[in-house]
Amino acid sequence: MVFPSSIRSVACIAFFACALTASFCQTLLAEDVDFRVDVAAILSKHCVRCHGDSKSEGEVNLSKRGSAIGSDKDSGVIVPRSPDQSLLIEVVSGEKPQMPKGGSPLSEREIDVLRRWIEQGAAWPEDVELRDDPLDWWSLRPLQRPEVPTAVGGEDLHSMRIRNPIDAFVNARRMEKGLRGNPEADRRTLIRRLYFDLVGLPPSPEEVDQFLGDSSPNAYEELVERLLASPRYGERWARHWLDAVHYGDTHGYDKDKLRPNAWPYRDYVIRSLNQDKPYGQFVREQIAGDHFYPDTRDGVEGLGMLAAGPFDFVGQIEVSNGTIEKARVKNIDRDDMVSTVMNTFVSMTAQCARCHDHKFDPIQQKEYYQLQAVFAAVDRADRSYDEDPQVAARRRTLQAEREGLQTSLEAIRRELKERGGEELASIDQQIELLQKPSKGVPPEFGYHSAITNEPSDTKWVKVDLGHDVSIARIGLAAPNDDFAGIGPGFGFPVRFRIEGSKDTEFSNGVVSIFDSGETDFANPGVTPRWFEAKGDSIRYVRITATKLAPRSNDYIFALSELMVLDESGKNIALGGKVSSLDSIEAPIRWGAKNLIDGIYPGRDLSDSEGSLEAFRTKRVSLVQSLLGEDRWEAFQSLQSQVQKIESQIAGLPKPKFVYAAATDFAPAGSFVATGGKPRPIHILARGSETAAMELVSPAALHCVSDLPGDWTLSQDATEREHRGALAEWIVHPKNPLTWRSVVNRIWYHHFGRGIVESLNDFGRMGSDPTHPELLDWLACEMRDGKQSFKDIHRWIVLSSTYRQSSAHSPENESIDAGNLYLWRMNRRKLDAESVRDSILQTSGKLRLDAGGPGYNLFGLIDDHSPHYLYDQYDPDDPRGHRRAIYRFIVRSVPDPWMSVLDCADATVLVDRRNETLTALQALAMLNNPFVLRMSDHFATRVESKCDSPSDRLAYAFRLAFQREPTERERAILLELVREHGLPQVCRSLFNANEFIFVD
Amino acid sequence: MFQAKNTSRREWLENLSIGAGGLGLALLLKKDNLLAGSTGGISGLHHPAKAKRVVQLFMSGAASQCDTFDYKPKLITEHGKDWDPGEKVELFQSTPGKTMKSPWDWKQYGGCGKWINDCVAPLGACVDDIAFVHNMVSKTNVHGPATFMQSTGFVLPGFPSMGAWVSYGLGSETDDLPTFVVLPDPRGFAPNGPKNWGAAFLPAEHQGTMIQPNRESPIDDLFPSNQGSLGPEGERRLQSALSEINREHAREREGDSRLAARIRSYELAARMQLSAPEALKWSDEPQHILDLYGIEVPNSSTEGPMNDGEETRHFGRNCLVARRLLERGVRCIQIWSGADNGFPRRNWDSHEDISRDHWPLGMGMARGASALIQDLKQRGMLEDTLILWTTEFGRMPCSQGSLGRDHNPFVFTNWLAGGGIRGGATYGESDEWSYKPAQPESPTYCYDIHATMLHLLGIDHERLTFRHNGIDRRLTDVHGRVLREII
Repeated sequence: MVFPSSIRSVACIAFFACALTASFCQTLLAEDVDFRVDVAAILSKHCVRCHGDSKSEGEVNLSKRGSAIGSDKDSGVIVPRSPDQSLLIEVVSGEKPQMPKGGSPLSEREIDVLRRWIEQGAAWPEDVELRDDPLDWWSLRPLQRPEVPTAVGGEDLHSMRIRNPIDAFVNARRMEKGLRGNPEADRRTLIRRLYFDLVGLPPSPEEVDQFLGDSSPNAYEELVERLLASPRYGERWARHWLDAVHYGDTHGYDKDKLRPNAWPYRDYVIRSLNQDKPYGQFVREQIAGDHFYPDTRDGVEGLGMLAAGPFDFVGQIEVSNGTIEKARVKNIDRDDMVSTVMNTFVSMTAQCARCHDHKFDPIQQKEYYQLQAVFAAVDRADRSYDEDPQVAARRRTLQAEREGLQTSLEAIRRELKERGGEELASIDQQIELLQKPSKGVPPEFGYHSAITNEPSDTKWVKVDLGHDVSIARIGLAAPNDDFAGIGPGFGFPVRFRIEGSKDTEFSNGVVSIFDSGETDFANPGVTPRWFEAKGDSIRYVRITATKLAPRSNDYIFALSELMVLDESGKNIALGGKVSSLDSIEAPIRWGAKNLIDGIYPGRDLSDSEGSLEAFRTKRVSLVQSLLGEDRWEAFQSLQSQVQKIESQIAGLPKPKFVYAAATDFAPAGSFVATGGKPRPIHILARGSETAAMELVSPAALHCVSDLPGDWTLSQDATEREHRGALAEWIVHPKNPLTWRSVVNRIWYHHFGRGIVESLNDFGRMGSDPTHPELLDWLACEMRDGKQSFKDIHRWIVLSSTYRQSSAHSPENESIDAGNLYLWRMNRRKLDAESVRDSILQTSGKLRLDAGGPGYNLFGLIDDHSPHYLYDQYDPDDPRGHRRAIYRFIVRSVPDPWMSVLDCADATVLVDRRNETLTALQALAMLNNPFVLRMSDHFATRVESKCDSPSDRLAYAFRLAFQREPTERERAILLELVREHGLPQVCRSLFNANEFIFVD
Repeated sequence: MFQAKNTSRREWLENLSIGAGGLGLALLLKKDNLLAGSTGGISGLHHPAKAKRVVQLFMSGAASQCDTFDYKPKLITEHGKDWDPGEKVELFQSTPGKTMKSPWDWKQYGGCGKWINDCVAPLGACVDDIAFVHNMVSKTNVHGPATFMQSTGFVLPGFPSMGAWVSYGLGSETDDLPTFVVLPDPRGFAPNGPKNWGAAFLPAEHQGTMIQPNRESPIDDLFPSNQGSLGPEGERRLQSALSEINREHAREREGDSRLAARIRSYELAARMQLSAPEALKWSDEPQHILDLYGIEVPNSSTEGPMNDGEETRHFGRNCLVARRLLERGVRCIQIWSGADNGFPRRNWDSHEDISRDHWPLGMGMARGASALIQDLKQRGMLEDTLILWTTEFGRMPCSQGSLGRDHNPFVFTNWLAGGGIRGGATYGESDEWSYKPAQPESPTYCYDIHATMLHLLGIDHERLTFRHNGIDRRLTDVHGRVLREII
């Protein structure tokens, strides 16, 4: 091992450490400590970053002999032969070590190495310098295809065939460690393993029989191909991806509103995996599909990834713009996008640099905000699109044509405006006033009384006009609220009176304007109803509901608008003071002041239409005279062409919606689309919204050598192009993070442990790869091949490494109890989805309808804040018999049964699921109504197929465990059948370890 | 980097170390054994503990400090006048109205002479056991994020609840009952729902287990529904057959401790089936205890969406159940007063009418909380049971409309009792209006309350960590100061 004298980088040392042989380690305890081999790596890893040449905090420099030990013995950091006097040992030891500041403490083993090195004299070769180059880190180093080790020793020595390069790499490592691989598992184990791994379901007895009886040498390979081609494959593997991006069907937070258009993204992921879409394309679609693949379905649906996480409904929609609170909400929203993208695609924890430079990895705070700037123009919202690219193209063409015509129209309108002067302006103003709002349901619904259980309760609302005034007409408009499917006419009283008075208490001089008496008043929908007054002079107008409007199982009184017209026809109630018996104040939609805000759903249906028409006629003649006959005709023709195009657009198939990153969507309250104009992004000192500093522009990370993190786009580049540039940075062949990250994820899901254990963190706080060369080999296969998930699956599941049995061996265990070096296959506990799907499949109830909106495993009451009632779920409802990936995922109230089985929490980016075994889990499996009902169905299925108890038991075993019962099992369970019936045996089988664990 | 050949499982885990020494390590080992009801995430306490158990009383919707515990004479003298705190006020829903005094009177109680509002008068009897913190501040004035902040220490979803951290840190005291129990308001969940007691990235065993004593089956799936049940004897038969089958299976698969752990989890489940119903049989309590908690008080004649009789019965029953669970070894309990922000009002979010909502909620909460403190005290359990009263933020000293109050994230009150808390103490004053901390530069955050709680439990809040996505996460984030002034 030769260290050049000028550059002694961690690279050399790190590489050396990785390549350490087992035999060396074994002797370490007994023999002398070697600085180059043992100590350098520890100091480099933990110390030199802050105590090196570039930064010597506390004037301690551990980069070279001279500065670390030196001649000055008084420094005391390292006192040769006296570990107890050495400050170094003192600061890294103890229950709460002072060093490394902010980092993981040294392991006992590492401390022991340092201690013994000092004891032995702290030898430090003069030519060795330690340098902390933050970029010099395994995951950031260029990705090069490593050489595949040649197998030595052959099958006999390793009891395993070297079938492919994976085996060669794994075997080389095992040999170093003195481990012997397990023999191949039996066929029944293999088919079970492959089914659960690739499609997430158990094989049927027929499929097992076929495989066991297939003597073809390619039987296993053919089975693999069949499973990879199955649509069930995408359903299984999409779940892993959805965990990583924290997909959910509700917003989370307070109120936790439903997100009815999230599922197209879920289906997109399933479809992409089934199609085996090249990974580069999969990445591009999810970050900037609208840029790379305009007009395509996948280009839009893929953007669901950026929006997959939680959305703070109250903060985004109800909190006013311009407040600090709003800045906080937007900051957190973008932070989630940055974290999701960077953790998922490149396994870097960029979010750690939000308040300060990343403490461990080479990511500056500025770079974090530059990443935020990439997403500064997008929000999470329902985004419209056309599934059919031809329709999308047609829509775009029509829109462009319309735009062209409108440019011409605009020119004429500008001219008219100039020449029409004040006369035209005043007419337009009148028309505008009369027309607005013309479309849709305005968000300001109106006044809403408290809710009551009695229709006969009396409720009132009144307006103070400010002074006595002679009134001509009174208008009432009803709200339009879809709650409980009511819509137009919501809350309009069934019976009511309208009264006026000069007295706020209505104690004298009350004028009756209308009284429905004992007759029900027909619900007016959105058409305002008018009531004639007789010119009485009054100050207060009061509406008293004497029979309330029904809601779901209760009663209310609601009005969108109360209009009081004086003799000139002016609405003098506008802006008046409203009081009421009671009122639900739930801005923006409901509030007493909405009663007199001039906003109501049916406004342009009101009989202001008459005057509107008059103004329009007036306008036409003015414009005609301004333009002259020829130009007037041309003007009209342009207008009619626009109308024609608009009707053509309206005639296109209705666009679909996906909840995705969007720059254009219907506004809601203070939540308004950017239209593609990015919000300014500043570096925030300490991450605080009140401490904005430098403005930043979009960029990626700068820690990958050979790959610039900046891009040059013109000043007027669109925000899509910036997202596109980030995607290109991610999928660039020179970005080693991306390719290592994705193959490591795939590996993890096959083996239950990644080559790098921390799937989302390839930085210094993450773990090191157990098989760095294998990781790089797989990453190169992914990058340089078809970028195919299925190719990587094939390499893995066809390897001998994967086909090993999962049996334990005391000898191997004594060397590698954690099975880091894969001397056996890991026995896997089924995840919550697989448990549910398997129960359904075994019971014969599983429905394989794919795609579409998720099904509810709960009862739903959606009043202002939705209630998710899992105890109302009926396990026999066939809608719930679809695969678990299609269930509607509630963030705030997750399915209790699935959660207790360690299902992913949709509020967290889940790279790996936790695995627990608890009493509550046992209770959930034993007693949940779903399991009980399915036990019945399982029994019925078995009973309809076989007659004798013994045959029935055998068939039940084949369905649940893919094998026959043993004699002992027969004895135990036939007795249970006799005593308590077959359903109880079926219930036991669902609860058996063999059902939950896959060998 | 270094991977010795002779690593044991323990060493291997240590090498993959999740950070803070013993804590994370113990957790991994625990995960490895996967033993239900095992010891906690710290291998030993960081220092001697004063408290063994915690009860968190959470007032959902934002309970008004200036109508309960934070006495301000100025609100009485300035009542009805324009409110001018000398700066522009940014409110959640409204513009500032007039200065508004509490609708009820204030009286002094106990040796410490603490002023307590009539709305929560039953707590007057306990003031000498309570330490009040009047300068609490929230980072947000929106219910969802603010509720997260008080329950998990972060304003966004995705973090473990306080109770989950305690469970992770200390483990359980009993195998027969869950470690962390949540008693929700019978009307429904607070904003964020069960995420307020979730485990997030901690293992699921640390999440709160919901117990709803008002329901026919208070714990989900504790027993099979009638239709599927075999009766106790039959259930035992089934479980023993299952156990035999599982042992057969494990016999051929030696070396995998999870298989044995799962068999054991069924044994624990059976024990929980015996213990839990007994623990929840609050009706067995003697009459004077039922009376103490107000379990049988009738509805009062007040009208409104809530009634103080009903509130007292609900909250009192949850407090009584909590005491029974604490006695049986449950480590952490969260009791909620108030549900979601729907209508009619079912929580403390009194935008429209303080007196209509706060009176019944205040009377119900104070009766139950007071009974719990007194009852624990007479059993000698108060000294090692910490009680923490909190809410997501406070309410404004001015009116909204004419009777309500808008959100006040700038100041609110917490109080703590038992478990090593110095009774009768008041720490951290609010200003003369109860609008902001009297010393704005040194407010108290939930981090400080959480740090204090962990300290009393024998845990250094900086050393209870869990590595998640590259960060060693803590309940107290990068903040937290133990409030030595009140312990």
